Amino acid sequence: MASHAPVAARPRVGVVKFASCDGCQLTLLDLEDELLSVVDHFEIVDFPEASSTRSAGPYDVLFVEGSVSEPAHLERIVELRRRTRTLVTIGACATAGGIQALRNWGDHDAFRSGVYAHPEFIHSLARSTPIAEHVTVDAELRGCPIDPGQLVELLTALTTGRRPQLRDEAVCMECKRLGVVCVMVSKGIPCLGQVTQTGCGAICPRFGRGCYGCFGPREQANAAGLTRHLQMAGDRPREEVGRLFAGFTAYSEPFRSMVTELGGVRTGRTGPAGDTTTTTGGKA
Amino acid sequence: MKTAPLRGHRPALEGPGFLARADLQVLIDLLREDGRRVIGPTVEDGAIVFDEITSLDDLPRGVGDEQAPGRYRLRRRGDEQLFGYVVGPTAWKKWTFPALVPLTRATKDGHKVEFTPEATDAQRLAFLGARACDLAALGVHDTVFTGSEFVDPDYLARRAQVFIVAVQCTTAASTCFCTSMSTGPEVESGYDVLLTELDGGFLVEVDSGAGRELRDRLPLRPATSAEQYGAAATVAAVRARIGDPVPAAGLQDRLLAQLDHPRWAQVAERCITCGNCTLACPTCFCTTLTQVTDLVGSDAVTSRSWDSCFSPGFAKVAGGSFRSRPRDRYRQWLTHKFGTWWDQFGQSGCVGCGRCITWCPVGIDVRDELNAIAPAVPLVPETPIVEPVAATPNDFVTARVVASRQETADTTTLTLTGIDPAFAKGNTGQFAMVALPGFPPLPISISRFLPDGIELTIRGAGPATKAMCALQVGEQLGLRGPLGNNWPLDRAVGRDLVIVTGGIGLAPLRPVLHAIVADRRRFGDVKLFYGARTPADLLYRDELERWGTRDGIEVSLTVDRAGPDWTGRVGIVTHLFDQAAWDGANMIAFVCGPERMMQATATTLAGRGVTASRIHVTLERHMECGIGLCGHCQMGKYFVCRDGPVFSIGQLGDIFGREGI
Repeated sequence: MASHAPVAARPRVGVVKFASCDGCQLTLLDLEDELLSVVDHFEIVDFPEASSTRSAGPYDVLFVEGSVSEPAHLERIVELRRRTRTLVTIGACATAGGIQALRNWGDHDAFRSGVYAHPEFIHSLARSTPIAEHVTVDAELRGCPIDPGQLVELLTALTTGRRPQLRDEAVCMECKRLGVVCVMVSKGIPCLGQVTQTGCGAICPRFGRGCYGCFGPREQANAAGLTRHLQMAGDRPREEVGRLFAGFTAYSEPFRSMVTELGGVRTGRTGPAGDTTTTTGGKA
Repeated sequence: MKTAPLRGHRPALEGPGFLARADLQVLIDLLREDGRRVIGPTVEDGAIVFDEITSLDDLPRGVGDEQAPGRYRLRRRGDEQLFGYVVGPTAWKKWTFPALVPLTRATKDGHKVEFTPEATDAQRLAFLGARACDLAALGVHDTVFTGSEFVDPDYLARRAQVFIVAVQCTTAASTCFCTSMSTGPEVESGYDVLLTELDGGFLVEVDSGAGRELRDRLPLRPATSAEQYGAAATVAAVRARIGDPVPAAGLQDRLLAQLDHPRWAQVAERCITCGNCTLACPTCFCTTLTQVTDLVGSDAVTSRSWDSCFSPGFAKVAGGSFRSRPRDRYRQWLTHKFGTWWDQFGQSGCVGCGRCITWCPVGIDVRDELNAIAPAVPLVPETPIVEPVAATPNDFVTARVVASRQETADTTTLTLTGIDPAFAKGNTGQFAMVALPGFPPLPISISRFLPDGIELTIRGAGPATKAMCALQVGEQLGLRGPLGNNWPLDRAVGRDLVIVTGGIGLAPLRPVLHAIVADRRRFGDVKLFYGARTPADLLYRDELERWGTRDGIEVSLTVDRAGPDWTGRVGIVTHLFDQAAWDGANMIAFVCGPERMMQATATTLAGRGVTASRIHVTLERHMECGIGLCGHCQMGKYFVCRDGPVFSIGQLGDIFGREGI
């Protein structure tokens, strides 16, 4: 990493993407009230979703969206890291591998030939992996998509030089502060809020749905305990419980172990592909 | 009745009033006219939550709840009750201690910084439908936030503006355990207006000046005796239904002695450390500070929001967390709530509302954990549950006199062994039917419980009692029992207790004093006021001496006629009691004596703030069967032998002391 010399001018900010849907970048553009102030305080040098201006860096702050999913990504992320002072991953793809990481439990070659007429043109890796599996990450914003409030908090922390106040606690805490009636207790809806990191404002329970964990597991998430409860007290079949964890952050531990153990991805396989990153890996 | 006409025609009520159900709207309207937002129960998202109420139609009419560990469902009751359920997910702290409170605004201009307190947005509120456990929880927060030299101004501003319309519980959930925590189900104090829901309306009582003012504006008629009995009986049934799920005696010490119990790790396998229990809890008060700043940090607002000791970051410092394992955090919560809270605040942190049980997503039941980690130590040796073999009127079990002690000229205490093992499960205040061949059986209070026997203190007033007093060591008599109910000593835990009695009346209270001495620290101030005709008529003189000098009981004695050796007080016990300095706010009273004396005592107690449901008396009636079958002891709707002999004044209502009942 480059040295942490004080930044005289506005910090140079880049926004780049890997395998992702661009939704998290849009959250940055959707900061309507703060956008002008953001531009006042940050120099946006690279942001394909917003501007045709390009830069090869260096970056004071680089927001990285998306997972590492193609062979070319492997070199690119290492190169970007070299040119970046503070690297921030944004969204479930960058922080957890994304929904596309469900293929990590499947037969990669079978998927390619099943979906594409000419699979030989498809250059993808057997596994979709989070950025942190490849380079050092300085900060991460979770979620699918990320929360605008957390994004502003992170930007503020960057300008003021303090630690971002991103709470590491269960979604339940936000439900209780907001007075949302627990959907699991009052309606019997399975909810991952207890094991999921907060930050979304409990948006799903607020609308009567169970949390599906798009912010990923929180620190020391007792996914095994929740699983036992859902299977025993809730009388749910193991695959149904496994599928709860098989979402946008399925590849993050301990959700990953639950999916593997319970068979939450219907692929005929019993576990995720091996650690190989070649296109031929991962046969059942 | 004195008349103080209001609005020209309605005389002011002295006792409880009756409010028709539809007229509850008048109460809501009056509170709103007084500039208050009325917060009360309403159905939202499949639960009964507290929210703003403007009309009777907002209340959950005919809705009940079913609660179990990790489970809450609404159901139709099939009636018109507006309060036919218990506490839901919301606690009143949402208004007295909101989830998010801005505290300070800090600004920076060049080198100049400035800190300004944020103004509180406290409003005039009325809480409609607070239960006994809710009031206890507000009391806990009062102690936490205003009970020391450091007062939380935001809490104080909000709490001071709350008017409380409490409601007696007429039902219980499987998760309720207020009885064990000595907080309910009876609402006893801490309210302005108290409602008990009956068919067609509410019994209305008041406990404050503001409450009286409101009552006098309500369309009330005096409540009938039947309505008053009905209200008391309903709440008594709730108490019976809840039972005593967590024996609280010595719980603090038992729990804190188990810091290394293997159960902590076992419960942590189940616990998700989500923190729901702590935020659902009406007394948990931990918070964390967060900063919201503009992009350059020149304008920052610091706010306080609810936090939980279950979150990993709660006890973190640079370098790690002091409670890094989930088991550490569960133990912290449980031992604080039921243990160290006593040391910090002089009371339990738990009010037994059961919210932490229902709203635990994985259904961990704090009662099971407590009973597993810190099981109750039985006060009597563990014996299998035995029903009295001699329960029926025709069946006596013989007992043998092993000691006879003459207490006074006419009173003797017999020590009996070889008794029915059922007596080992007996409780303070119970009695035995005692028989000698040829004499009618008589009810005699048990004056002491021994590991393998009991003591009976008998005044030789008639032929049968004289024959009993004359029994010699080795002789036998017949016993049935133990019979009747007991002094509610569990309700006295954590409170001050006053015992007022005279003459032989000390006999049924003697086991109470033994139980207190055995577990003294569970109780606040304990005062015994005891009177006798002459110094020679005082019972248990050695014990009186010991209680007063060694056992931490404040013993005050008086006699009607003193001899030359008497240096103590002369006069009747009610006078002695009248003149003493004491405060009834946190007091439970046990009284035994002639009914006139008990009435006078109750009046004095009421005058000092001891409400009727906290004054307990034991009644004497003609008893033959002891189990409510012979009819002799009937008093109003009660059989004194079966439903008593211990009653609260509130239970008895206006039949207490009434001639000819």
